[in-house]
Amino acid sequence: MTVNSSPDFAAAPRKAGKALAISPIARILYLTSLWVPLIGLALFFLYPLVLIVQRSFVQRDGMIGIANYVDVLSMRHIPGVIWNSLVMSGLTTLICVVLGFMIAYFLQRTHARLRWVISVALLLPLLAPSLVQALGLIFLFGRNGLISQATGWNLQIYGLWGLVISNSMYALPQAVMIIQASLRQSDTRQYDAAMMLGATPWQRFVDITLPNARFGLLSAAFVCFTVTITDFGNAAVIGGNYRVLATEIYAQVVGQMNFNMGAVIGILLLIPTLMAFYIEKVAAQRHTSGATEGAMPVAPDRQPLRDISLGLFSYGAALFLIAVVVTVVYASFVTLWPYRLDLTLRNYNITAQGGYAPLWTSLIVSTQAAVIGTLLLFMLVVSQRRLGRGMAKAVYLLAIVPVGVPGLVLGLAYILSFNVAGALPGLLYGTTLLIALCNFYHYHSQGFLTMVTGIRAVPPQLEETVTCIGGNSLHGLRDAILPVMLPTLVAVFFFLFMRSMVTLSAVIFLITPQLSVGAVSVLRLDQAGFATQAAAFSVCIMAVVMIALGMMKATLTFLERKPRN
Amino acid sequence: MQLKIRNLEKYYGQFQALSDVDLDVGDDEFVCLLGPSGCGKTTLLRIIAGLEPFNSGTLELAGKDLSTVSAQHRGFGIVFQSYSLFQHMTVAENIGYGLRIRKTAAAEKAAKVQKLMALVHLQAFAERYPYQLSGGQQQRVAIARALAVDPALLLLDEPLSALDARVRNDLRLEIRDVQRRLRIPTIMVTHDQEEALVMADKIVCMNAGRIEQIGSPKEIYSHPRTKFVADFVGISNFLTPAMAARVVPQLNSQAPDAQHLLALRPEDIAVRMTETAQARVTETSFLGNVTRLTLDLGDTTLLADSHHSEGLKIGDAVTVSVPPDAGVWVRA
Ligand SMILES: Nc1ncnc2c1ncn2[C@@H]1O[C@H](COP(=O)(O)OP(=O)(O)O)[C@@H](O)[C@H]1O
Ligand SMILES: [Mg+2]
Repeated sequence: MTVNSSPDFAAAPRKAGKALAISPIARILYLTSLWVPLIGLALFFLYPLVLIVQRSFVQRDGMIGIANYVDVLSMRHIPGVIWNSLVMSGLTTLICVVLGFMIAYFLQRTHARLRWVISVALLLPLLAPSLVQALGLIFLFGRNGLISQATGWNLQIYGLWGLVISNSMYALPQAVMIIQASLRQSDTRQYDAAMMLGATPWQRFVDITLPNARFGLLSAAFVCFTVTITDFGNAAVIGGNYRVLATEIYAQVVGQMNFNMGAVIGILLLIPTLMAFYIEKVAAQRHTSGATEGAMPVAPDRQPLRDISLGLFSYGAALFLIAVVVTVVYASFVTLWPYRLDLTLRNYNITAQGGYAPLWTSLIVSTQAAVIGTLLLFMLVVSQRRLGRGMAKAVYLLAIVPVGVPGLVLGLAYILSFNVAGALPGLLYGTTLLIALCNFYHYHSQGFLTMVTGIRAVPPQLEETVTCIGGNSLHGLRDAILPVMLPTLVAVFFFLFMRSMVTLSAVIFLITPQLSVGAVSVLRLDQAGFATQAAAFSVCIMAVVMIALGMMKATLTFLERKPRN
Repeated sequence: MQLKIRNLEKYYGQFQALSDVDLDVGDDEFVCLLGPSGCGKTTLLRIIAGLEPFNSGTLELAGKDLSTVSAQHRGFGIVFQSYSLFQHMTVAENIGYGLRIRKTAAAEKAAKVQKLMALVHLQAFAERYPYQLSGGQQQRVAIARALAVDPALLLLDEPLSALDARVRNDLRLEIRDVQRRLRIPTIMVTHDQEEALVMADKIVCMNAGRIEQIGSPKEIYSHPRTKFVADFVGISNFLTPAMAARVVPQLNSQAPDAQHLLALRPEDIAVRMTETAQARVTETSFLGNVTRLTLDLGDTTLLADSHHSEGLKIGDAVTVSVPPDAGVWVRA
């Protein structure tokens, strides 16, 4: 999801200033639906974030200063770990952006066949906990990997390269999505004009395609960087002796209760985000009059050499993604990987690490996150429509800030804020509700942006018409907004549900001995040496997510078929 | 240098977008393709540009077959309605793009860009980006960019449609002026008949993929050959031969056959107030210089222009008179 801070408020009716005569009930309704989500954001997003900033500056002697930063940076191994993380994320970002551009270009600008293979492949990483990629890689190329055993090669998969490959697989779909969206915006007339001026295909690519895609590429780069520099799952499974920030923070904070260090590193991890926001702002200014409305999309064309080489990379990457997940599924049914490959269900008899209880917890957490999240986001976008331009923009910005906060930082901020004895916030600690809220605010921005797109489809006049013919705000909601917004609500609901099922980086800090979730179980099983059971457990998670996906598709199809009026 | 099109046909799948198109464009001629939206003007222009293939017919420039020359090598200039400037290049870079592609020497390029910016009155904006320009300025840049490579033919696809009326009027004159000075043969697409009448040496009036009539603005306006042209360019009343004989008995000309209609411009119809009513005024609209009346003649209605001094009102009984040489017989 892109860090897009260029809202288009043209669609919002400007009803700021003195409201017309409004019934008291409607007014209460409106104030509630505006303030409840905002208070939610304040309590469960801003407050933890402010706290982590504050903690990073409170020194051991109680004074305000940068001593914590000095301490952390002067710890002997920390500069190395930071460097490792930068190298790992840098390489991953490079791979994802280059490969992502090739795939996006292949899908968008050529007559690619069998697109669905690529679409399915790109969907897979979204359906599974992030460490499934690492798990699959180990099943194939690890010490006891299928391919290592078959060939006798020692592929050294543990460490930097294993981490880069598995994180690339995890971040690639997001890169493709962002870059494809930016390619979609180009106008064919720019290409026609250049061609008439004598530009060759290569010159058109360099002078139009690349410059037009550069903000998409930048956006993709920042997203890949942010999601991988703090990714926990793959690092824990395949990182080996290659120490990165994510695992280091976890060890320091959870293992040694060194909160100050956690806070400091958390703040450092926000730096790329701040840069991303700044660059997006510059980009947004430039983009305003490159008006996209009425643009004619660029038609795909044929250039055999280009198409074949792009195809090779695209299908290659897709098949690799599929192969890795298929391997995990296969391994979950195998007696003793990779020596005795006869099929069995024994791996699914999981008793260690609380058995299947965490899976049920995950279901509860995900349902809570989806229900609460959909409701709050809906309230927010509906009431945001009635705000003046300045306020609406402020709300918009606040709502999309969470996308830039790495899950790990959010998780850290949550324990700093809620793992406090006695005090009111402490009551939530150790409940599914807190994990659900953490997941919701982790994915707040993507849900919000989807909702905003959805509500733009509701013509403001329609709502006014309902009011004019005597309906109150509730009628407007029921008869004008809901029917149009229903598909969006369904999409947001399942998006939040599915992300909550698989996310690991934030929740890893919030689980307690009594309360754990599915993604964490996979990690624990793997660390305890039960790799095939870990595979079995992740297959269960994937199954749940796929069922959710199926239900979403079915609901959306049903809603589309039903005549809306 | 002459563009010659013969028997050109174009299909999109089953749909015939152009049928039997014949067209000549001479040296330094300004030709307007005029017609309603969807009649195939853009398609024809894009085929001439080489951006769109065609199914049959010939397309030649100075006796040379163009069908084997790609758009990239035709050396024509093109300007679209909008969206075609390179957003990440300055005004100067946009204008110089074609020269850069041709690897023109830096000094020569700079001089040419300077000259063109002066030509379209943009010297002050050389370092601006497109998003910092108004719509009219952006189109000036697009025109200068197209002119920079000394095109053999300049193609303009509704270059003024997205602009507001004032800017549009200024640019019309400017484009015409530049074209006359540089003597570049030009084809401009428009759906605005006024624009075509003001700018063109030659108007190509199109309807549903066919050329209805080609002629000078004067010919097209005063001697339309088909009902479509008489209706699309200016406003006309249409009378069948029988009705014409009754309403305009004094007319000199005869209907060639029963399929023809008499096209009468509202300004050709003079209206007098009389006791014995031939017609009655049912509507009046104020057009500034004249008042347009709708007249009810029992079995038909006519539009007629009258001067304000006549002071006709709705309900007035009137008699119409038409000069004997007025009107044109057009194919229905
Ligand atoms: N790429 C295309 N595919 C199919 N039909 C097209 C395409 N481009 C144009 N047409 C059709 O051809 C007809 C002429 O289009 P166009 O030349 O754009 O008209 P104009 O420029 O006169 O408004 C229209 O009916 C349009 O729908
Ligand atoms: Mg057109």
